[in-house]
Amino acid sequence: MSRLTLYPLFNRIWHWSQALLILLLILTGLEVRGTWHLFGYLRAVNLHNGSAVALVVLILFAIFWHVTTGEWRQYIPTRAFLHEMVAFYITGIFKNAPHPVRKERTAKLNPLQRLAYLGFKVLIIPVQVTTGALYFFYPNLQHALGWSPTALWFIAVIHVLGAFGLVAFLIGHVYLTTTGETPTANLKAMVVGWEDLPDEEATH
Amino acid sequence: MPHPSPRTSPPRMRRRLQFLLGLLFLLPVPASAQAPASPVPSGHGSYTAAHAAKARTQTADHSKFKILQGPFKDGDGPAVTRACLTCHTKAAQQVMATSHWTWNVAKDGEDGYGKSTALVNNYCLTIVGGNTEGCTRCHAGYGFKDKSFDFSRQENVDCLVCHDTTGDYEKERAGMPNPGVPLADVAQKVGTPTLKNCGACHFFGGGANATKHGDLDDTILKAPRTEDVHMSKQGAGMDCVDCHASDAHQVGGPNYVVPADRREQPKFAGESISRMSCTACHTDAPHQSYVLNRHYQKVACQTCHIPAFARGERPTNTFWDWASSGRLKEGRPYEEKDANGWPTYTSMRGKMVWERNVQPSYIWYNGNLKFTRLTDPLPASRPVVLNPAGGSYTDPNAKIWPFKFHEATQPYDPVLNRLVAPFTDGPPGSGAYWGDWNMDLAVKKGMEIASLPYSGKFEYIRTTMLWPITHMVAPKEQALACIECHSKHGRLDKVEGFYMPGRDRGTGVDLLGWGLVLLTTCAVAIHGIFRVVSSRSQGHS
Repeated sequence: MSRLTLYPLFNRIWHWSQALLILLLILTGLEVRGTWHLFGYLRAVNLHNGSAVALVVLILFAIFWHVTTGEWRQYIPTRAFLHEMVAFYITGIFKNAPHPVRKERTAKLNPLQRLAYLGFKVLIIPVQVTTGALYFFYPNLQHALGWSPTALWFIAVIHVLGAFGLVAFLIGHVYLTTTGETPTANLKAMVVGWEDLPDEEATH
Repeated sequence: MPHPSPRTSPPRMRRRLQFLLGLLFLLPVPASAQAPASPVPSGHGSYTAAHAAKARTQTADHSKFKILQGPFKDGDGPAVTRACLTCHTKAAQQVMATSHWTWNVAKDGEDGYGKSTALVNNYCLTIVGGNTEGCTRCHAGYGFKDKSFDFSRQENVDCLVCHDTTGDYEKERAGMPNPGVPLADVAQKVGTPTLKNCGACHFFGGGANATKHGDLDDTILKAPRTEDVHMSKQGAGMDCVDCHASDAHQVGGPNYVVPADRREQPKFAGESISRMSCTACHTDAPHQSYVLNRHYQKVACQTCHIPAFARGERPTNTFWDWASSGRLKEGRPYEEKDANGWPTYTSMRGKMVWERNVQPSYIWYNGNLKFTRLTDPLPASRPVVLNPAGGSYTDPNAKIWPFKFHEATQPYDPVLNRLVAPFTDGPPGSGAYWGDWNMDLAVKKGMEIASLPYSGKFEYIRTTMLWPITHMVAPKEQALACIECHSKHGRLDKVEGFYMPGRDRGTGVDLLGWGLVLLTTCAVAIHGIFRVVSSRSQGHS
């Protein structure tokens, strides 16, 4: 067995703060939409706006971290083992087949994860941040640029569809954490930062 | 053997942790998300303090003036006015320049908006059909009986109705003082108008207490703070004139024209526009929440801060059915009352509905109400709205305002397509409706007195009149919660032209979104079940 450090401290703080903020944004966002009543409308609006600002600041730090540590390379899409990964989730996983991709410190994400997280980072989050900002500043834009009420409707629809996309992502994401060595192995790794992997060279 | 990476060595780790946690706590959270600071001390003044200040500023004790000692003949108002004018030489001329005197207001360069003109309302209808003597009980003048009233006679100006502080002053038909009023005593105790002076007329619009406005009635005189936070003596203890400030006897007020906070120019030189708008005292950003403050662009303060009108003991009239009026029992007029004593039917007026704690109707309003005069042709739409409000979302001057919508039926001329002016107030044999109970005759007579064309044929028509609600502001604890409007079927359900969060939740978007969530959940669940089942079967084999 070898202990592999996958998630340094900042990585974990960023991940879990982001998880918490996104959960709060979903809960309060759906209250603003009128789906349910949890916090009270004004508190929901304020929490939503507050956690949105917090999330943006967190993301700025994360971008800095990714760039300075070179961690951004982990998200470069690759075709290597892509088919094997798809095959693993469709058939192999039911036959107790070994995971086709071995985690390494500099390549901790499998090709499917790379695609999913890259999509999350460059598509869902930017769309939500942009439409959220436009939504918040709509009264100013309406005033200054004469934007029509249809514009707000359009912004809101995109923002809401993005939010539903996030919920779907979250469900898939949480489920896939159970596909590690044991159902909780990946979750544990994200908490403590390291994972014990069977040591191939130990047999020598 | 696990060897800790140098990147996460304990001392460094602790430092980084402290640094990052510190950053998280330093995140700029908008002020709105923070817990509200201790509330601003409520009440910027008290009734007692305000009135002590007002008494202090007076420089004259009118009981010391010989000319006010009288004696005045019973009911001789003009004699009192002559006495006042010996010192206040310009006062009558000033009053004569105001709409309190002319009862005529020019609007958009057009004459004829005012009580003494061909303007029609939804209650007693109109003054010009021979009803002057009854209606002018409220005119700030003496002897307004009919068209022959001399608007230029200075002694006809009634000083006392506005400046009496004793509460003993009372006006009768044609605006003359009740003969029982101790005129000399009243004249010696004159002062700045209080709620009672203005209320003597404005609480009783529509012919009786609380009838017309919905947000003005005599319960305000003894109102608890919850009924009217400004005028209640438990609240700020303010008088009408504290906001409706005057200049040379011109009292600020909307007056068929545009309300103060929507007007760019004063109605008259020196009008304190600012004092008549909420923002003059409260600023346009009075909330701690930026999001709440921004509502000011499109929502009137009144919309959230007057959750209901007629919040006092008295109900306001919401329906007046002239079409059912005139029924007699054994040749005599009669009244029917509900359990609370409010008339549900009177022969004089027809069926009536009275309501307390009424939720306002909300519409876009840019301050422009387009009034209907007897000379204006009626629109094709039914019911006829007597004073449709201007404004829409795209109008930068319009806001969502609370209104009392008053419904009525009233006679009109279906041939000329105009409203008519029945002669209502007169004795039997005069042709007046309340004397002879014949609407056909009353309309003929009224139109003759008003010198207006009439086809000779009348029918009843349904009319609606809009009353902007602006008084009876509730304490802030009673302001509307967001959810009252930001929800489906909320208070602003019918206000059109814009997207509102919480109200406009499209079914299509919901179906698409929840469909995606459901699909993902199903896929995950099926995958998970297969994994469990396959691992078990492998475990067994």
